[in-house]
Parts: sequence; C-alpha cells; structure tokens
Amino acid sequence: MSAASPLLEVRDVKVYFPVKHGIFGAVRRWVKAVDGVSFELAAGETLGLVGESGCGKTTLGRALARLVPLTEGSIRLEGEDMAQWTGAQLRARRRKWQMIFQDPYNSLDPRMTVGHIIGEALEIHHLASDARERQARVRQLLESVGLDGAYAAFYPHEFSGGQRQRIGIARALAVDPKLIICDEPVSALDVSVQAQIINLLQDLQQERGVAYLFVAHDLAVVERISRRVMVMYLGKVVELGQAAAVVRTPRHPYTQALISAVPEIDDQSQRPRIVLSGELPSPIDPPSGCPFHPRCPVAEARCKLEVPLLREIVPGHWAACHLAGPASRAEA
Amino acid sequence: MLEIRNLQLEFRSDQQAVRAVDGVSFSIGPGETLGLVGESGSGKSVTALSIGRLLRTPPAFYAGGEILLNGRDVLKASNRELRELRGRGVSYIFQEPGVSLNPVFRVGAQIKESLRLHRPQAATEAEVVRLLQGVGIAAPEMRVKSYPHEISGGMQQRVMIAMALAAEPKLLVADEPTTALDVTIQAQILALLKDVQQRLGMSLLLITHNLGIVGQMADRVAVMYAGQIVETAPAQELLRRPLHPYTRALMQAAPRLGAEGGRLANIPGSVPRPGAMPFGCRFHPRCAMARPECSVQQPTLAVVEDGRQVRCPYWNSP
Ligand SMILES: Nc1ncnc2c1ncn2[C@@H]1O[C@H](COP(=O)(O)OP(=O)(O)OP(=O)(O)O)[C@@H](O)[C@H]1O
Ligand SMILES: Nc1ncnc2c1ncn2[C@@H]1O[C@H](COP(=O)(O)OP(=O)(O)OP(=O)(O)O)[C@@H](O)[C@H]1O
Ligand code: SF4
Ligand SMILES: [Mg+2]
Ligand SMILES: [Mg+2]
Repeated sequence: MSAASPLLEVRDVKVYFPVKHGIFGAVRRWVKAVDGVSFELAAGETLGLVGESGCGKTTLGRALARLVPLTEGSIRLEGEDMAQWTGAQLRARRRKWQMIFQDPYNSLDPRMTVGHIIGEALEIHHLASDARERQARVRQLLESVGLDGAYAAFYPHEFSGGQRQRIGIARALAVDPKLIICDEPVSALDVSVQAQIINLLQDLQQERGVAYLFVAHDLAVVERISRRVMVMYLGKVVELGQAAAVVRTPRHPYTQALISAVPEIDDQSQRPRIVLSGELPSPIDPPSGCPFHPRCPVAEARCKLEVPLLREIVPGHWAACHLAGPASRAEA
Repeated sequence: MLEIRNLQLEFRSDQQAVRAVDGVSFSIGPGETLGLVGESGSGKSVTALSIGRLLRTPPAFYAGGEILLNGRDVLKASNRELRELRGRGVSYIFQEPGVSLNPVFRVGAQIKESLRLHRPQAATEAEVVRLLQGVGIAAPEMRVKSYPHEISGGMQQRVMIAMALAAEPKLLVADEPTTALDVTIQAQILALLKDVQQRLGMSLLLITHNLGIVGQMADRVAVMYAGQIVETAPAQELLRRPLHPYTRALMQAAPRLGAEGGRLANIPGSVPRPGAMPFGCRFHPRCAMARPECSVQQPTLAVVEDGRQVRCPYWNSP
C-alpha cells in the first residue's frame, strides 16, 4: 500500500435487490438499498454512519464485507479492488476485515461454546500454535471485552443480549483485523457496558490502528467515537463531515430533524423538536428530485425536480441539499 | 393490574443452579408505565418473560414468589389459562426481533395470524395495512408480502410492534422496543405507544437502557443490578437525583450529545456471573462508595423517602 492511499476507497457503490412479488405481477422492480455511495476511510480512523431505519446502512456494511454482491461501483482495500480477489487470494485477505453484527442473537452459533466460537477464528487463520495457546488467547480476548475468562465453557443462550454482543466483539478481535464494520455494536447494551465497549474500541484503535465503520442510531455515541460522521437517507449519502460539526451545525434538513429528535436526559421539553411529517418514502419507489423532499420542512419547488448533489458546503463538510449554504440554516 | 412479589428464578442444569432473579417485587397499575433499567445481564428480560410464562422450564425453575396478573397467579396457571392470558392479557415486543418473526412466513400473514388469535373480527387485510402504517412502514401494501429477511432490522422491529399491538393487550411488555430504530422513528413509535396506551388504558412495562426514553415515557422506574432491584422511584425524581451508587454511576456513563470528547465514565469491573455473586452488597466490588461493611452484610431494599426505595444503607452519605 502506498503511504498516500487510504485503507478503504468506496466509489459509487450500488446494491439493488429484486422485488419479485410486486403488486404489478410480472413487472420486476428493485429495492435500491444502496444507491451510489462514495467515501474513503483512513487506517485507524472511525467513520460514524447514521440514518433512517432501512436507509441501507447494514447493506452497505455487508457489501464492504463482501457478504452481498455490488450491483455497481468498486471497493478498494489497501489499494486493491476487492471484487478481483478469488480463491487463495481472498482467503489470504479475509483476516483484514471483520463484521460485528446488529443482532447478537442470530450471529453466534447456538451449538458451540463461546470458547469454540472465538477459538474457531484463531484456528482458521492459524493464529495459535496449539490448543493450550488457543485457550489462553480466548481467555485473554474474553477479558479484554470485560467478560470472565471462565465463560469460555458456556453456550450463547446462557448470556444476556449485551454479553453476547461482547462475545461477538471478542470474536472479531481474534484475528487482529485492519477494518471492523460495526453494525450497531452497542445498541443492545446498557449505558455502562456501552461506555466500556466504546472505550475499549477506542483503546484497541490506538494500540492496533484498526479502522471502524461504526453504524449506530444513538448520535451521542456516534459523535463520541467517530472522527467523521456520514448520514444516509434512502440509499444515498446526504451529509458527511467532522463529527462535532455535523452534530452542532447540521447542514442537511434530515440531519437537523434527526438531531432534534434525540431524547436527552437533562431536558425533557425545552429543545425545539423538528417533527417530520409525511409518508416515509420507499426505496422501491423513491421520490423524484431530492429523496427527502416529501418530508422536508424547508423544501422548495426545485427540490421536487432536481436531484441535489453532495456538495462541499464549508471545507470538509458536505451536504446534498439545494438550500445548504455556508451560513447555517440550522437556526432558522 | 400486575403485581410481582418476591420472584425467585433459577436456571438449572446437571451441574448447577444459578439464580438469575433473586427476590424481585414490583407492581404496575392500569394505564401506568414502569421503566425497567439496569445492567446488561441483570435479569430484566427473564423477569419480563416470566409474566407470560415464556421461559422454558427446565432449564428455568421458579423457586419462589408470585406473579399476579389481574389477581391470578400466572406461576400456578394451567396451560389453557396461559393461552388465554397471552395476547389480550399480556403481549410482548421482544428484544430480538429477528428471532421472534417466523422466517418462512410473510410479515402480513404473521400479523394477520396475531389478529386471528386475539381479535378475530378484525383479522382483515385492511387492519394489517393500518397496523403497519401505524408503525411507520412505507408502502405497507407491498411490505405485507415481504419475508422477514427481506426487511431491515428496524422494520422487523416495527413489524413486531404491530403484531404486539394487534392483540390490543391490557399489559404490553416492550423489551428494548426502539433500540434498532433511528431517533425520528423512535419518537414516532413512542408517540404511538402513548397513544394506544391512552386509548386502551394499557399498562406498559418498558425495558430500556436509554435514560432519555425513561424520562419521556415512564411514570416510575425500577433499576436492576445482578438479579435484584436496587432502586425504585418516580421517573423524573430518579433522573434528577439518583440515590443508589449504581444508578448514579449509570447516569454518569450516559453519553450526551454535544459533550466534549475524552473518555466516557464507566463502572470499573464487570457484572458478576449468576452463581458467582459477591458476598454482601452485590455491587460492592465496583462501587465508588463501598466501605468494609459492604462486603459482609447484604443490604435490603428500604423505603428512604416517599415513593423511593434504595438497596444501600449509605445512599445518604457524602
Ligand atoms: N436459558 C438460560 N439458561 C441459563 N442462563 C440464562 C438463560 N437465559 C438467561 N440466562 C441468564 O440470566 C441472566 C439474566 O439475563 P437477561 O436476559 O434477563 O438479562 P437482561 O437484564 O435482559 O440483559 P440485557 O440488557 O443484556 O438484555 C443472565 O446472566 C443470563 O446469562
Ligand atoms: N436480502 C434482501 N432482499 C430484499 N431487500 C432487502 C434485502 N436486504 C435488505 N433489503 C432492503 O434494503 C433496504 C435497506 O436495508 P438495510 O438493512 O441495509 O437498512 P438499515 O439502514 O441497516 O436499517 P436499520 O437501521 O433498520 O437496520 C431496506 O428497504 C430493506 O428492506
Ligand atoms: S451498599 Fe456499599 S457497595 Fe453497595 S452500593 Fe451502597 S455503598 Fe456501594
Ligand atoms: Mg441495519
Ligand atoms: Mg434483555
């Protein structure tokens, strides 16, 4: 890898799923789950990813992990096109990325002990010379995610949701990856465990230089862990910028609504809420023009007609809104 | 409406019995919302699942206590009584939507089945679409035909919510109902729950780790740690002035929007394993206020102020 190229380069990625049972019978339609997403991720960086439920975050993560095929576009890891890897080449590179899933219930094999689940990853990638060393590594990994090493002998069903999520993280860490795609890794955790995991992920990043794509719904969590934040809406990136800038001066009206809806402990009513009205759009039949226009509180006539491009509004801060300008409209 | 008294729940295997819930008591009145918060693994879900007797026995074993739902003890109910009770008596939004939906049936059919079981006169296509619309699903007429794996995690969760509401239950148990949802849809679902609650006088047991949601939704809160309740209080008072050292630490660990960076405060150590509980106060190895007595004597849940209980004799010390 040349020093200049980023760890991950995502160019115009599209992932479409066919809809077979449409009400129009034979007509084939598509769910445009991810519709032209581009970004870069540097080694050791964290990019936060937020957005409406169903906007394509998991699908994007799965595409990066090669778990769903790309309909269009390219993904380069350390300068190499991932789509070109096959066979032995692919096997040799599999260790470079790992995924931590949204649903800790389905992602752990119920018939295997936790020790076996974590140990398997070590075995596949020949990361321990014998059973003894493997066991020691498993204990160490469990302890590094705040679980008692004795848990290695237990089965997944014996754990609570949060504990299972930690097991998933331990498994991902086992192979010492360059990139971890974290799909809502802390959503299922109580806040103290959540704080531990976030601190843990940050420590691991400092020690090992691992990069994260971090999907979450809790904006306070995302702000805390990410250097930059990317906001998606209906398969498209609508905003991208430094975490603090996106949270404090959101440029896109969707992001503005999102941030105003965060339930906060300290104030229950003082903050003005931007309540979105209107039908939730469907990725099967996305609106014309700006995908957000049917629900946008500040939409104008052209929003219905012209697709807004992702523009750099102020240096390092991008938004896809016709009305976004350097003078923030957030106060309006 | 619901009263749980001194619930003792164990998980038994050939080698051992571990007590996952140890002496939990609380009640919920008609139309009331109780927020249940606490450490991951502290026994919130298994307590909630016990109300509808949804845990498999064995390995679960009820070693004591009562769960009175409308005056009847569900721990003594026959299978027939249980079937009646599930659905219109108590219905669930489970923590794991992916597991609770049947992967081989379309989501529309699953909601219709819930209607057929609990409100047969309303088991129509139109009602299914109305329920899906209520939880904010776009193009519901098309989505009824989707299989669970074809919809996003958040949509699965909303289908679950629609199914639970289809039964129009007296008590709704919502276990982390909005964790997989973005905050705008979360706000919509919470408003929907409040609305249904007012319309039907439904009681709500709301398990969440989001303290902001507790403040928005709950009348009262119970905080669990290691299988026991350590604090109960009116929701606003608890958020304003948490008394138990665990609750205080929990509030400090919550990330707040727009706060400056740095590390999040967290509670050192990890949750004790059921079966390996520390002597004395179960929180003492991690407690910032612990003193030598704490490792000897297990504190009781004591009334400390009007409507407030705390399981720590030193809650009032500096
Ligand atoms: N089937 C089971 N067999 C053995 N132990 C179990 C079983 N189900 C749960 N437990 C144990 O009971 C305890 C309580 O689990 P529970 O799922 O109620 O936690 P929780 O408070 O809901 O946590 P979370 O916030 O992570 O969902 C945990 O320690 C768990 O390991
Ligand atoms: N295998 C599939 N077949 C058909 N459609 C799919 C499939 N997987 C995902 N989709 C659709 O793609 C869209 C994006 O889904 P995705 O799971 O990526 O959303 P998400 O942003 O992760 O949402 P959430 O926050 O709810 O997890 C949704 O409309 C979903 O229904
Ligand atoms: S009893 Fe002691 S250890 Fe337990 S919470 Fe109170 S001060 Fe902390
Ligand atoms: Mg997702
Ligand atoms: Mg739970």
